[in-house]
Amino acid sequence: MKRTRSPSRSSTGHAIGIDLGTSNSVVAIIDPDGAPRILTTAEGSTLLPSLVWFGPGKPVVGEAAREGLDDSPDVTIFGAKRLLGRRFDHPEIRRLAKILPYQLIEAPNGDTWISLSAGRSVSPEEVCALVLRELRLMAETHLGEPVTRAVITIPAWYDAAQRQATKDAAQIAGLTVLRLLSEPTAAAFGHGAHRGTDRKYLVCDLGGGTFDVAVVDLEGGVFEVLATTGDPFLGGDDVDRAVVEHLLRDVRQVKGLDISTDPIAIERLRLASQRAKHELSSAAATRLHVAELVQLPSGKGAEYGRPIRRDELELWSAPLIRRLEAPIRGALERSGRKPQDVQDVLLVGGMTRMPAVRREVTRITGREPSVIANPEEVVAVGAALEVARLEGVIEGVLLIDVAARGLSVSASGGDCELVIAQSAVVPTREHRVFATRHQDQPTIEFDVWEGESPDPAQNRHLGRYAAVDLPAAPAGDVLVLVEITLDTDGTVRLGASELVSGDRLQLEQLYHAGLARAEVTRLARQHAEAS
Amino acid sequence: MGTGRTLHVRCATWEQVDVFHTRKLRRGKLLSMKVPFQTEIGAEVTLGLELPNQVVVAIEGVVQNASPIDGDTKTWIEVELTGFTEDVLARIRVMAATAAMAAVPATRKPAPAAAQRRATTAHQEEELPADERQLFQQLTAELRRMRGLAVHDVLGVGRAADADEVRRGWMELVRQHHPDLVARHRAPAITHLAEELTILCNRAYDRLRAAMVAEGRATVVGSVLRSPPGWLVGFEDIASVDAAAVRAALVEPASVSGRHRADTPPPPTAHGGDAFELRARAMLGDGDSNNAQEVLAAALCVYPRSRALRSLYYVASAIGALEKGEVMLATSQLETALAHNEQCSDAVVLLEHIRKHGDSNPDQVRSLFR
Repeated sequence: MKRTRSPSRSSTGHAIGIDLGTSNSVVAIIDPDGAPRILTTAEGSTLLPSLVWFGPGKPVVGEAAREGLDDSPDVTIFGAKRLLGRRFDHPEIRRLAKILPYQLIEAPNGDTWISLSAGRSVSPEEVCALVLRELRLMAETHLGEPVTRAVITIPAWYDAAQRQATKDAAQIAGLTVLRLLSEPTAAAFGHGAHRGTDRKYLVCDLGGGTFDVAVVDLEGGVFEVLATTGDPFLGGDDVDRAVVEHLLRDVRQVKGLDISTDPIAIERLRLASQRAKHELSSAAATRLHVAELVQLPSGKGAEYGRPIRRDELELWSAPLIRRLEAPIRGALERSGRKPQDVQDVLLVGGMTRMPAVRREVTRITGREPSVIANPEEVVAVGAALEVARLEGVIEGVLLIDVAARGLSVSASGGDCELVIAQSAVVPTREHRVFATRHQDQPTIEFDVWEGESPDPAQNRHLGRYAAVDLPAAPAGDVLVLVEITLDTDGTVRLGASELVSGDRLQLEQLYHAGLARAEVTRLARQHAEAS
Repeated sequence: MGTGRTLHVRCATWEQVDVFHTRKLRRGKLLSMKVPFQTEIGAEVTLGLELPNQVVVAIEGVVQNASPIDGDTKTWIEVELTGFTEDVLARIRVMAATAAMAAVPATRKPAPAAAQRRATTAHQEEELPADERQLFQQLTAELRRMRGLAVHDVLGVGRAADADEVRRGWMELVRQHHPDLVARHRAPAITHLAEELTILCNRAYDRLRAAMVAEGRATVVGSVLRSPPGWLVGFEDIASVDAAAVRAALVEPASVSGRHRADTPPPPTAHGGDAFELRARAMLGDGDSNNAQEVLAAALCVYPRSRALRSLYYVASAIGALEKGEVMLATSQLETALAHNEQCSDAVVLLEHIRKHGDSNPDQVRSLFR
C-alpha cells in the first residue's frame, strides 16, 4: 500500500466521501497531503443530522431543522434512509408507518413515499438528496471549488432497488456516484488502510437506524467481505423509543397526563431522551429535562424532568441489546470463523459508545473491541480513502465484493430462473435467451427479480422490461439475448440483442422499482436551479 | 439481363471495411467473387456494402468477366465497381472515423488534458494518450484471447487445481485487470475494457467455484474459496470397482485371506484403506462398533477421499445407534452412508433388515458382518 501521487485536480471537479446515515451523515475529503479530513458543519459539528424540515420556506437541512422537530414533526423528516427503495407493503414499513410522526403513503409503483400535506408528497430519494446536497455544499465551502463526484456508503444488505435509489438521490443532489461502498468495508478500510498488515476483522456497525455485522479480511492489500448479516431495524432510534415508552408511563404517574397521542410532546420527549442517552455514555447519571412538554388547558406549559441513571437506560434497552447477538453469531458462522479466529473487533457507529453495547459485543466475541477514537466518522474516512483509491492516489489496494442477493428472471409470468447466484463476485454478467412464441411477435416481455426463489412472490420485483421492434419472423425464429450485468456497485444493468444478427434491441421499462430515469433527471435539474 | 441484381457485402467491423477497399479490390475498382446466379459480361450489378453502423452504401458496377462453376448454378465474376469513386471512399472513411471516435473517445480526445497533466507533474507521462492507446490495444487483444478459452485456461490453472490454486489464479488476474486499478486511466473505453476483462475472470471463477463446490472439493465463503474443512465434504472419487470387493467381503466373512484369495486377483483400484477397512469390519463383527468407528475415522484422515471408508463410517455409526435402540438415528445414518456411496451394500442390507424387523437385534446385526 503506497501513496504515489497527490490527488488529481482535474477540471471535472472534486470528489468526496459520504457516509449517508440514518440519523447523522458525515462528509470527508482527502487533503492535498493525502490524509483524510472530516469536514464540519456551520455549527462546528462533524455530524450533519440527516434531518429535513419542509417548513413554510425552502426545505431546511441539518442542525437547523431540529427546530422543525419541536415545531412541526409531521413535516420534519428524519431517518429517510430507512425508507429508501422500500416497498410500501414491506412489514417493517407498516410498523414504521405506525410509529413515525410523519405520514407514509404508497407511490403508484408501490414504493414508500412521505406525505407532507394534502396533495404534497415527497420521495425518500428527494429527502436524501437534500441531505447529500447539504454535504456537497459543505465540501464546496471548504474547498472553494465545485464538487461533482462522490463515494457513498450503504449498508451491506441493501438490495439492488435500494442501491439504485441511493444513486438516484445522489444524481438529484448533483453528484455522480463513483462507487457505492458497503459500510463495514468502509469502516475496515478507514481503520485498517494505513496499518497495512493482514488482519481478520469483525465489524459491528450500530448506528441510528441499522445494525450491520461483517466479517472482513485484509490480506495482501485486498479487502474481502466474507459474510454480512444485520438487523435493518435496530439502532439508536429504537433505544430512544424504548426510553420514551417508559417515560410516557412515568409522565402519566407523576403528572397525571396522557401524552401518548400528542406527536409534538412525544417528539420533545424523544429529543430529551436522546440527549440523556448521549450523556449516559460517559456519566453514570444525568437529568432529563423538557422545558415545555405540553400546554395545559390553562395555557401554562407543563415542565417535566427526572433524574435518569445509566442502569435504568440499560434495563430499558436490554431487549434491544440482546438482538445484537444473533447477527454477530450469524456472520461468524457464515464465514466459517470461530470468535477466537477474529483478530480485530471494530465498533462503528454512534450507538457503540454506549457501554452496554461494548459489554455485549465483548461477551459475544470474547474479545475486547478495538478502540476507535471516532466511531461515527470512520465510515466517512473509509469513503474518502475509497475516493483516493479510485483516483489512483492510493495504490495496490483492492476491495472485492460479492452479490448480496441472487438475481432471477422470468418470462411471461412463468417461474423465476436464477441468473446470478448470491455471492457471485461482482462485477459479473450472465445472459438468458428468450424466443418469440407467435408469428411476427413485435415484443418480448420479461421480469427481473432479486432473490433466488423460483416463486416470484418470494422475490423482490425489480422491473418488467420489453425488448421491442423485433424483426418479423415465424414463431421461435427470433431469439433475444438478454444480458444482465451486476456492476461493482451492486446495481443492475440490462442489455438486449437479437441473437442471430447481433443487433442491439431497444429495451423498454414497463414497470420498475424506484424513480423513473426521466423523473430523476427532472428533479436533478429542478434542484440545480433552486440552488 | 442481370440489371438490378444486387450483391450484398456485409462488414461487421471497420477493420473489415478497411480490408475490403484496401486488399479485396484490385486496382482500386475490381472485385472478384462467387455469386449464386448466372450472369454475363457487361451486365450491371449493384453492390450493397453494409457498414458496421448499419448504413448500406450502394455502389454501381459492371461485370467484366464471368465464368460458370458448379454446373451452371454459380458464377465466378469480376466486377468493376464504377461507382466506387473517391467521393464514396471519403464518405466511408468519415463514418469509420466517427465510429472510432465514439468507441475510443480517449485515444483522440485527451490532447488538452494531457498537456495540462504534463504541466502538473512530470512522472505522469505514463498516462500519455499514446500509452493509453497502446494499453487499449493490449487489453482488447487480451479480451479477445480470453473469450475463446475454457474457464480453467482463463484462470491459468490446471483441471485438477485445488481451491487455493484457483483462488490464486483468479486473484492474480483481478489484480491485473480490475477496473479500480486502471481507473487512473480515465478514458472510459479503457475502464470499460477492464470491466469486461474482470467480468470474464469473475465468471470463470464463479463457474469453477460452483463446480468445485458441487464436487465437494471446496467451500465458498463470500468471495473466498476454501479447501474443504474436513473429509466429510469430499465426493470426487468414485469407488465403483470397490463395490464388487465390498460385496465379496460381505458374502465371504471378513478375513484377509477371504478378501484376497489367490484365485481372485485383487481389485485393480482397491484403495489403500483396505487394511483399515478389514480391521473395522472385524470389530463390527465382534459388536465393537465404537472402536470400529474410531478406526474408520483414523483411516479417513489418511484416505479422505475414499467413498467406501466414508460410507462404512456411517454404517458403523448406525450400528452403534442400533445397539442403543435408536432406530431413527440409525436409519438416517445409513441413508447418509448411501448418499456418500450409493453402492454401499452394507447400508442396503442393514436398511432392509431394519425395515423387515422394525427394531433390531444386535446379534443379528453382528451376524451380518461375520
